[in-house]
Amino acid sequence: MAKIQKKGNSGAAKNYITRTRAVKKLQISLPDFRRLCIFKGIYPREPRKKKKVSKGSTAATTFYYTKDIQYLLHEPLLAKFREHKAVAKKIAKALGRGEAGDAARLEKNLAPKIKLDHIIKERYPTFTDALRDLDDALSMLFLFANLPSSQHVPAKTIALCQKLCHEFEHYVITSHSLRRSFLSIKGIYYQATIQGQDVLWLVPYRFVQRTGGDIDFRIMGTFVEFYTTLLGFVNYRLYTSIGLVYPPKFNADLDAQGAELSAFQIEGKSVATNGDASHGDVSATANPEAQAVADRIAAAPIAEEEQPDTAQAVQAVEDENTETIDKFEAVAPDADVLPQPSASSAEVASLFAPYTIYLSRETPRAPLEFILKAFGCKRVGWDSTLGDGAFTSNESDASITHQIVDRTSISSEEAPEIVDGAAPKVQWPRSTMPGRTYVQPQWVWDCINQGKLLRPDLYAPGAELPPHLSPWVKAKKGEYDPNLPLQAQELEGEAEAFEDEEEVASEAEEASEDADDADDAMESDASVEAGEGMQVDGSDDEEDVDDDEPQVAADDFEGFDSDAESDVSEGEAARLQHQRELEAEATGKKLEPEVETTKSKNAAVRKKAEKKRKEEQEERDRQKMMLSNKKRKLLKRIEYGSNKRDAEAESLRRKKRRLDKAKAASEAV
Amino acid sequence: MAPNPRKRKAVTRDVPAASNSEEELADGLLDGILSHSEGESDADHEEDAESDTSSVIEGLSDEDEEDEEDGAAFSDTDPKDGEGDIREQMRKLTTRDATVRLSGVDHALDRDSRPLADGELDEQDDESLQRNYTVTTDANGNPRYLYREIDPVYESDDSDAPETTNTIGNIPLTYYDEYPHIGYDINGKKIQRPAKGEALDALLDQIDIPKGWTGLTDPATGKPLNLSEEELDVLKRLTRNEVVEDGYDPYPEMVHYFSGKLEVMPLSAAPEPKRRFVPSKHEAKRVMKIVKAIREGRIQPYKPPSEEEEEEERVYYDVWADEKPRPENSMHLAAPKLPPPGYDASYHPPREYLPDKNEEAAWLAADEEDREKDYLPKNYEALRKVPGYERFVKERFERSLDLYLAPRVRRNKLNIDPESLLPKLPNPEDLKPFPTTCAAIFRGQEGRVRSVSFDPQGIFVASGGDDGYVRIWELLTGRQVWNVKLSDEDAVDAVKWRPTKDASILAAAAGESVYLIVPYSILSPDVEQASRDILDAGWGYAASKPSTTTNGVTKEPPGKWARPGGKFESKGVLVQATVRSMVKIINWHRKGDYFATVSPRGQSSAVAIHTLSKHLTQLPFRRLKGIAQTAQFHPSKAIFFVATRNTIRSYDLAKQELVKILQPGAKWISSIDVHPGGDNIIVGTYDKRLLWHDLDLSTKPYKTLRFHQEAIRAVRFHQGGLPLFADASDDGSLQIFHGKVVGDLMENATIVPLKVLKGHKVKSRLGVMDVDWHPREPWCVSAGADGTCRLWN
Repeated sequence: MAKIQKKGNSGAAKNYITRTRAVKKLQISLPDFRRLCIFKGIYPREPRKKKKVSKGSTAATTFYYTKDIQYLLHEPLLAKFREHKAVAKKIAKALGRGEAGDAARLEKNLAPKIKLDHIIKERYPTFTDALRDLDDALSMLFLFANLPSSQHVPAKTIALCQKLCHEFEHYVITSHSLRRSFLSIKGIYYQATIQGQDVLWLVPYRFVQRTGGDIDFRIMGTFVEFYTTLLGFVNYRLYTSIGLVYPPKFNADLDAQGAELSAFQIEGKSVATNGDASHGDVSATANPEAQAVADRIAAAPIAEEEQPDTAQAVQAVEDENTETIDKFEAVAPDADVLPQPSASSAEVASLFAPYTIYLSRETPRAPLEFILKAFGCKRVGWDSTLGDGAFTSNESDASITHQIVDRTSISSEEAPEIVDGAAPKVQWPRSTMPGRTYVQPQWVWDCINQGKLLRPDLYAPGAELPPHLSPWVKAKKGEYDPNLPLQAQELEGEAEAFEDEEEVASEAEEASEDADDADDAMESDASVEAGEGMQVDGSDDEEDVDDDEPQVAADDFEGFDSDAESDVSEGEAARLQHQRELEAEATGKKLEPEVETTKSKNAAVRKKAEKKRKEEQEERDRQKMMLSNKKRKLLKRIEYGSNKRDAEAESLRRKKRRLDKAKAASEAV
Repeated sequence: MAPNPRKRKAVTRDVPAASNSEEELADGLLDGILSHSEGESDADHEEDAESDTSSVIEGLSDEDEEDEEDGAAFSDTDPKDGEGDIREQMRKLTTRDATVRLSGVDHALDRDSRPLADGELDEQDDESLQRNYTVTTDANGNPRYLYREIDPVYESDDSDAPETTNTIGNIPLTYYDEYPHIGYDINGKKIQRPAKGEALDALLDQIDIPKGWTGLTDPATGKPLNLSEEELDVLKRLTRNEVVEDGYDPYPEMVHYFSGKLEVMPLSAAPEPKRRFVPSKHEAKRVMKIVKAIREGRIQPYKPPSEEEEEEERVYYDVWADEKPRPENSMHLAAPKLPPPGYDASYHPPREYLPDKNEEAAWLAADEEDREKDYLPKNYEALRKVPGYERFVKERFERSLDLYLAPRVRRNKLNIDPESLLPKLPNPEDLKPFPTTCAAIFRGQEGRVRSVSFDPQGIFVASGGDDGYVRIWELLTGRQVWNVKLSDEDAVDAVKWRPTKDASILAAAAGESVYLIVPYSILSPDVEQASRDILDAGWGYAASKPSTTTNGVTKEPPGKWARPGGKFESKGVLVQATVRSMVKIINWHRKGDYFATVSPRGQSSAVAIHTLSKHLTQLPFRRLKGIAQTAQFHPSKAIFFVATRNTIRSYDLAKQELVKILQPGAKWISSIDVHPGGDNIIVGTYDKRLLWHDLDLSTKPYKTLRFHQEAIRAVRFHQGGLPLFADASDDGSLQIFHGKVVGDLMENATIVPLKVLKGHKVKSRLGVMDVDWHPREPWCVSAGADGTCRLWN
């Protein structure tokens, strides 16, 4: 007979270890364990069968892989932690004796320095892995670069974060790898494509951050410690990959004057130029090419795949050595459309290249400078109050083609007269320079997101801006897309239903003559209407009831046409009509034809659409009824998401329609 | 008080009775010597006593004088007694050495815990002072000394062991509260309780508490323990953490013996040593060494390190110089990236993305964890108006927490087309025909209509209800063509046409009787004649073959067949068969010669099978498990189904054995119907379920349908070849299903819900009572509790 296996000695029970046991095994304190986990990137796991792992107990527990913890035992950091602990004891002793000098000396000389280099390599075996994980690192470092120094956040850390962030920005500028950016209420999102990896990070607006509440800066500090190391190595690799020297020269004096990006001096490896980076004198001619190559490689599989299929479609290209990507046109209409990069990197890189752009002092300089430079603008000037390092700080410079302003324009009467005989200063909003384009900052963002220069008159100072849209949303089927007209998206009969309902609402408004009441009515209508696809009509109350209790609805069966009565009534109506006609004929009177009002037409359209929808729904219900329980639940789960999406889209359409209507009404007035 | 008895005792006790004779004798001799040195020895003794007292009461040195005075005072007050005693003592003391004397005094001091014994001891002492013999004359006339017995006095010499006068040991004195004594001395004699004052004295003691009163009882003496002034003072000092000794100065003035002051008389007169004024060669050497090192630059002068120097330079290099991809089998899961922002996160979103008042209120009211989005979309006309996002740091922090605290699980996203899950159902158009609308309503019944039945030709509908009438309706016109009142008090519970077309016979049950009816005047004459012939064929059969038991006693037959009487017969009610209890269900065999009745109340006679041609009633089951609900013949085989509350049993009538037990899992079966093919049964239950049983498949239901809100009363298959079945429920609706049974054993039956027929009103929680299908057409008729029958087509 085989030996009876004892429970909990193999399998899942051995593969997982609770946090408490892990801490005990490593013989370190919990904060040290936390630091170690953050540095090493070890995170808890969710066992598939929790009960087996926790030996039957169902209490909430954190589990780690035993192997992970086993590896930690050999971690050099662990030894450093122990050393640190020993020194901490000595320091505490010295402080206890009141020997502050001794304590300081101990701390200075004996405290072990933690290096995370080996961990970077271990966690990110390839550079691509590191790039893939850069989102959080960048967001965190950009946040810390903008924090004020405090007890928890030493100034040294902030300075380091600033330095690393600016270095990274310099790489993005030089390699023209910034793709998109978005002004959100949280901050500014940037997306760069570096060596085929999309890196998305968020930079806060420059305000004092609220750091109160239960925010543990020790945890954040641990992350920052790791991320600074990571970004340092990533920057090194990025710089060297495009032939630049890392670290770039840092001019502390310029930085003190608020030069920010311009405080760094980028140098090529072979030809050491001493041009200022801000002026774009960098001999980075090879760099965009390198980026372009990288992009091409990234795009290569797509092109190659397409090659055999639409070989004929490819037009004969004379010069095969051009850098641009060829446009593939499908010959047959039934072929699948493959996504293709619309603009090549070279085009993107030179979006703002021909212009000299001046930033007014009320605009956020740092993001604008970064974006404009990343998109090829070599001449960015700004008001001297915004800091040093501008191409020009003279607003009346004749070479300025665009000025970015964020102030309302003052009419000429209001503008104070400049009486004294000072030189005529060109200053928005008092006067404008001829031949200069004044735009609001959003113009820059919308331009780069769409990859082309947009009409500046839409973004003129004081004008009502077009909505700023996120460049990452790809409208899926059934979702609301603000770029498309409403008519293209709404369901059949939806607009008519809306109009009817609005009329009812307006009638109610008139009747009550009370604005508040009417408002309430609108609101209540809206709440009833929230679930589209349900019946709007009051005739089939049972349906609504069913919708209220989904479990019953699932098991309920209503038959094909539960509204036999309505059918009857329709037939009845037809018969009545016929009867009336007959009577009219008998009396010799002429029956006046029913006037087709828009309302009745609407009603007809709506009814038709509704009926169709209802039929579909019934058919679906009937099918659902025959499903097994398991499949029904699965279907319910699937449908939950789609229903939610539909409801969301419907409410958006509804709001849009209402806004449109209000707008039309105001225009009519 | 204390010193006087002490002294007395000391005197009395220390006299060893036995050794007295010589001393007694010597007394006289030494008297003279002692007499002149008396004062000195007395003083000596006094001193001893003093030192003793001081050793007993530790540290009470201050007391000594007072004690002495006390002693003096006492000796004054009681001079005669005291003086005598002391003399006696002095006399004895001279013979002993100093230590013995001391110990003797010691004992004396200890002894004062035995005040009661004083009297006795005094007596003893008095005796011991006399001669301890008597002189008599013996037989010869010589004087004879008769000595008294010698008292050994064992305790006298035991000076080392601590003497305990009371031998009760370490037990509380309270144990002796009830007794006149407080313990035993070493001789086992009772130590009497010291005389206490009267109750009044005690009271007085309580009222004016004397100085030094502690309220405690001295365990050694049993007397109240009082402390003297000095003792109290000592205690007070102790509590203040002061030195007990009087006049002790904890901080005396310092005397500067070694000071800068030149004393006239110095402590040491040695001349100043040379080393005081000659520079040290050794030190000069060391200094020179350092100077040399500084000159050579080996020692740098101290300079505080600047900030830049302190900050160690970070060294970066290409970590990924030789990169190797992560092994395939690695369990690593990269942290999921945060989703990119949507339209509504924009600082200037399209207007429709802004929340309205209700949404905003709902968002604000919701708990932070319940919010779907952690921000509220807001619109700012210009970039300069955008404020800082106040949750920025918090969100970053939460993300950090997620990164190291949240377990990562790889989840498979459901990527199933929901359409693929839905079964392909036949098109409803293909399933037609089935009843959809109410075509006719048969009105005229009073009370509920309990049963309804189509005649085999499909021309008439029979119904029976609470009013006791059996009515026959013409189907097409909805006209009532015939009726008869079967009973005044009982309702007609079941009506059923005989299923053959050659004759037209209606069976109706009212109370315990089953009536077989050939409705006159609505049938064609030859059909009527044929029907009458069938009913009449059995008359006399029972009489010719009476069933007798073995012992010849005529057993009461389970059913009595009789002619119902003139009035009934004129209407066409020709036969009345009466069973033992109320008949609820009638079901015909397909050939029309047998019919089964079920009367749920009659226990053993619940199910009866009647033979029409013989006018015979049989009870097939001697005893039935459970209460019979309904029974039915198999459409083609000699199999009989009986449904009890929970189970359905099928019996082979030819072999007389149980074939199968079906377990629908229902709580209470209301009705069953067998598919014309014979392999499928539908079961309606009072617990709202409709169950489809495939007999070939299992004893458990193949499908359970729960579409009704209330109990199901009746279920019925279409018997004319259409794949339809219907059920009638108390919620006032009928449901029509498509139920196709394929001959192929491999394929299961298809059941498709088709139609809900609504129209019957619910009266006192009863809706539709019965349903029946037309023999050929897709029509059905239902009997409602509202007193109507409805035809649906």
